[in-house]
Amino acid sequence: MKKWFGLALGIVTATGGFLDAGTVATSGEAGAKYGLGLIWAILVATVAVILLVEMSGRFAAVSKKAYASAIREEFGFKFYLLPLLSELIAESLLLAAEIGGIAIALSLFTGISWHYLFPVAALLVWIMAWRAPFSLIENGPALLGLLTLSFVVAIVALGGLPKELLPTLWKPEIKSGELADYLYLVAAILGATISPYLLYFYSSGAREEKWTEGSLLLNRVTAIVGMGFGSLGSIALVVLGAIVLQPLNISSSTLGELGLAMAKPFGQIGAFLFAAALFATCLGAALEVVLAVSYNIAQGFGWEWGENKKPVEAPRFNLVLLLFLLIAVGIGLLGMDPLQLALLASTVIALFLPFSLSPLLVIMNDQDYLGNKTNGRFINIAMIVILIIAFLVAIVSLPLEILSGGG
Amino acid sequence: MPDSEEQLLVMRDIMDSQLETRDKRHIGRVADIEAEWRDDGKFVLVNIVTGPEALTGRVASRLRPMARFLLRGHFEHRIPLSDVENFGPTVRLRKKAQDYSVGQSDRWIADHILRWIPGNGR
Repeated sequence: MKKWFGLALGIVTATGGFLDAGTVATSGEAGAKYGLGLIWAILVATVAVILLVEMSGRFAAVSKKAYASAIREEFGFKFYLLPLLSELIAESLLLAAEIGGIAIALSLFTGISWHYLFPVAALLVWIMAWRAPFSLIENGPALLGLLTLSFVVAIVALGGLPKELLPTLWKPEIKSGELADYLYLVAAILGATISPYLLYFYSSGAREEKWTEGSLLLNRVTAIVGMGFGSLGSIALVVLGAIVLQPLNISSSTLGELGLAMAKPFGQIGAFLFAAALFATCLGAALEVVLAVSYNIAQGFGWEWGENKKPVEAPRFNLVLLLFLLIAVGIGLLGMDPLQLALLASTVIALFLPFSLSPLLVIMNDQDYLGNKTNGRFINIAMIVILIIAFLVAIVSLPLEILSGGG
Repeated sequence: MPDSEEQLLVMRDIMDSQLETRDKRHIGRVADIEAEWRDDGKFVLVNIVTGPEALTGRVASRLRPMARFLLRGHFEHRIPLSDVENFGPTVRLRKKAQDYSVGQSDRWIADHILRWIPGNGR
């Protein structure tokens, strides 16, 4: 029975991984600009993430190794540096964005400018990462993440999906000159959703939870339910953006604007719920990102690691965690809006996506690690398709961001 | 996995493998090896090497002298073959963590940096 509480791992991975400062904003913007016309991208990303998460979980359960360890052992130190460096750059930006998201949520509650609340938010993340056992890190944000269901409730409260919007599902209205922007959002959604840090976090989480070969069914269910849940929240946000923002011609450029605009129809309660949901998802995401990087480094270099250990039992792991948080705080204090930071981070992630994901294809077919639990043919083909998508996204992301003026 | 009686080992079984002590602590990864080519024709693995100097050398051999100059061998550690119980993705060592000098960084960080932060679990 206790094993099934591991389901929370999936939900928090989704809450943090799927829904974060980046996806909250891109989803709202996607709905505001193109109605339901970007939902297909979310669905594609969802399928990809479910597969990737299932694979990394299966790997960790059977081989008793996490993703970063496998990369170094399979490919050697030199190659390992490539995903490591890309993670360091991308995730420092993303972590700053997530902490910014927490700060914005807090500012929506308190009225204090988010710039001042930024260090407070960072401190909160650090305190949880420092002492909280893994189960709290999973369950806390996961429970709060259920708040994202309020988005679905909001849609119902607004009268449900207007029929006029349905055609945009398969025929988005792209005005002339907007194609670059549309494609940029496609790449941003894919890049923001298929985040490599999910693999580092989830596979390490599976080790923290001491999953074994007997956990493979749990892993599969967790991946599907968890990511499915996150996808639902994302789609709900797109619909909300379409219903509320599009008629007003608002296309948000800051997270705060988005929140206020979406909460308007629901008054005080709406504003509160949005802030709470934003707080939960960004907190979950911040924890995941900072842990993913710390796991990556500690495992890659062979140090002791783990949230279920006291800090002095894994000193280098915890020190790296603290230092990385400080770097993110430094970036955040430069003042860039968290939404812009998140989109920038997504572009960087998208650029390196092929390098971060390709190792998984090789590792999942290694019988030394997985015995008879290696990938079947279907999953291998699906993985190759995902990699092709990743390559395409990598190639077009930067030019599109420039062409469209950064969304 | 090859049976340990007649194991034909390749670099993959040794390089970058996790070093695990008898008390199940992780003290690093194999960064390099030292081998001897003896007069009787035998090529023998003598030591496993771990540490940032060796790692730097793996990235680019030109960087190795620079690393030696900066780090002066303080962080370089050699583990003799006799300490190895088996090879593979995890190399198991015969002694306990405290018997190895590598991993002292962990202790140093715990004693000198983490001690100032409340809740460190000492």
